[in-house]
Amino acid sequence: MSEEGISTGQNARRVLGEFEFGRRLGLQALGVMAASGAIASLTDISAAHAATKSGTIKIGYVSPQTGALADFAGPDAFVLQQIKASSYFSKGIMIGGTKYKIEITVKDTQSQPNVAVQVTQELINSGVDLVLVSSAPETTIPVATTCEQYKVPCVSTVVPWEAYWGGFTGATISPEGAATGTGPTYNSTFFFGIPQFVGTFVPMWQRIQKQVKCNTNVAEMYPNDSDGNAFRAAFAPTEQAIYPNGGYNFVDGGAYTDGTTDYSAMIQTFKTGGANGAACDLFINCPLPPDFQSFWTQASQQDWNPKLATVAKVMLFPTDAYALGDLSNNIATDAWFTPYSPYKSSLTGQSAYAFAAAYQKAGHGQWVQSMGSTYALFEIAIQGLKKVHNPHDRLALAEALQVVNYDGMCGPVNMNLKSSNPMLSSPAKGIGIISPVGVQWKPGSTDLVGHHKYAWSQWVVDNSLNKHIPINGTLEPTNV
Amino acid sequence: MVWLNVLVQGILIGGFYALFACGLSLMFGVLKVINLAHGDMAVVAGYVAVFLTPHLHLPEVWSFLIVVPIFTLVGYVLQRTLIQKSIDRDPFTTLLVTFGLSVVIENLLLEIYSANGQTVNIGDLIAKSWHPASIIYVSYVSLGVLGVAVLVLFILQLFLSKTGTGRLIRAVADDREAAQLSGANYRHIFGIAASLAFATVALAGIAYGMMTQFAPTSGGVNLLFAFEAVVIGGIGSLWGTLVGGIALGIAQQFGAHINPQYQILAGNILFLVVLALRPQGLFGRRTSLA
Repeated sequence: MSEEGISTGQNARRVLGEFEFGRRLGLQALGVMAASGAIASLTDISAAHAATKSGTIKIGYVSPQTGALADFAGPDAFVLQQIKASSYFSKGIMIGGTKYKIEITVKDTQSQPNVAVQVTQELINSGVDLVLVSSAPETTIPVATTCEQYKVPCVSTVVPWEAYWGGFTGATISPEGAATGTGPTYNSTFFFGIPQFVGTFVPMWQRIQKQVKCNTNVAEMYPNDSDGNAFRAAFAPTEQAIYPNGGYNFVDGGAYTDGTTDYSAMIQTFKTGGANGAACDLFINCPLPPDFQSFWTQASQQDWNPKLATVAKVMLFPTDAYALGDLSNNIATDAWFTPYSPYKSSLTGQSAYAFAAAYQKAGHGQWVQSMGSTYALFEIAIQGLKKVHNPHDRLALAEALQVVNYDGMCGPVNMNLKSSNPMLSSPAKGIGIISPVGVQWKPGSTDLVGHHKYAWSQWVVDNSLNKHIPINGTLEPTNV
Repeated sequence: MVWLNVLVQGILIGGFYALFACGLSLMFGVLKVINLAHGDMAVVAGYVAVFLTPHLHLPEVWSFLIVVPIFTLVGYVLQRTLIQKSIDRDPFTTLLVTFGLSVVIENLLLEIYSANGQTVNIGDLIAKSWHPASIIYVSYVSLGVLGVAVLVLFILQLFLSKTGTGRLIRAVADDREAAQLSGANYRHIFGIAASLAFATVALAGIAYGMMTQFAPTSGGVNLLFAFEAVVIGGIGSLWGTLVGGIALGIAQQFGAHINPQYQILAGNILFLVVLALRPQGLFGRRTSLA
């Protein structure tokens, strides 16, 4: 894979106004595979052959346990312990009249795409029947594309579906934001995408506009990276498509480099860049967590105080809020799992609330939302395995996973849902959409999970996309 | 007014670059060692400030009272053991050794403290600023860091020009063999220079932790900016390092004002232009310090 080939491909995609991000990671994955591919594929065949007769189902789980994305994998150890204690994983599963044991192998990507490819190859060489992967495009895309290449079933989560889909050769996103082209055969995913971010954030903007004096200028802080470019390309057009009368005026702060420590120029733009030189009262972003911390403290120093900050990719986990201290008060973000959901485990019947409480009781600190999505990955694995006659038949398992339809820890997941509601419908077969809610960081309370007061907790303040999850906090302006 | 603000913000961030670069400048000016672990050392200082000071019942803002003496000592010991050993071989060894040190430090920090970001907590002060004119806001923290940078450079300059030890450091920096012939124990002198450099690194690390969030791998990008500040200002000139840091900060702010995409690029372009037109830097005098 030459550099030239990569850049031409990207330019072509940029012209189409599409998500170049996923594709680039996919190509990186192919590059790493090309380097070690010859040997790997030889051992792969023999391993696969041995696996077809085995009485053990091998599942590989890949996540970023160390490095910049480590917070996402924080609950892994606890979740795996819960999973292994459940009956299918501890006692085995009956498939086609045979009882199979399930074995889980865990791999760490160190938050690096090339390591993600290597550990996936290791898993495939050890004869895994299925790979599960979570947390950010930097992790999921290299793993998913490697699995696709080696024809091993793979389920991913915590990745916007646009980035997931764009990672596969032949799969494209139309300017309207639809999944087009040929999708993967061995992959499936569940999460949400840009329309759900819009559907979570915009209702909060509208409610704040009714509460306080707040204009329609929206400051956009998007870095010059994968996620940033995806948001830049799609957020404003999607908002205008869903809310044609919203009247929002988007002010792009510019494609800054990840790791920038000084944001005074961008903040100046947000202070004066709105219509008629007004300041932006609304704020949306998708930066790296350390960059957001720098930005947000500097915004306060420079006296830019948006009425409502709705952030993506940051402030998802308690560590982010603890680091910002008082400045995290009333920052809003999305949550794809909360303890207050009426959902329960399809494996044990344990409720989301009990699950989160057990996490806190086990001494892991405050619950984190990635615990739900990681749990659901293993639930989905069981759903797929139950539908096949031979768990070592990779194509059959992959096909079963692409049409999984069940209720579990993250609520209903239907990977092939044809719905009249575009917010719920699968963009393509093998993509399940879950509905996030809007949450705000506020001081904790003993009324919350586990009756332990943490310095900062996420309160559900908006359930526009998911009425099943009750609101337990009041939406308040980030700055009055 | 907008351009004045760009200038003000550039000078403020430049003060931080200068503080960060001053240890690198000393190490290179005196020891002729490019310390590739410079950025990681600063990050270590941040971790020490965050994880040690709470045990001493001291507000984190005062952590420099503890961290700076520790680093002064560490600098001397590290110089007399590891760095001196590599200087005795050849310049390439010092590069390899400090690079190795950088890798070891990053991974140790990752192992001990995980990849989670940390900040030196200074409470409400972080969000406060001084508002001298219409759109100009001067963050107290940045202003403080700029002040510390100027003060540190002033003290170092005074130390190097007025004290006996300072003169010895300059003598060794100028001509090691001649200084040795005159009876100077250059290893000890190198140790003192390294401990001074490490003391400033500790200040820079704490300042960084106050201004933004750091993680085990934050050292690299700051090393680059520090290196650029040293080269722009002129290798071996301490005031040059201050000017270099500020020039870098202003260039970045000008770039960012045009488009945030050009923030880091503008600094790099200034660096390249200086390298092309005046390779010894703005204040550089071949091999001398101060």
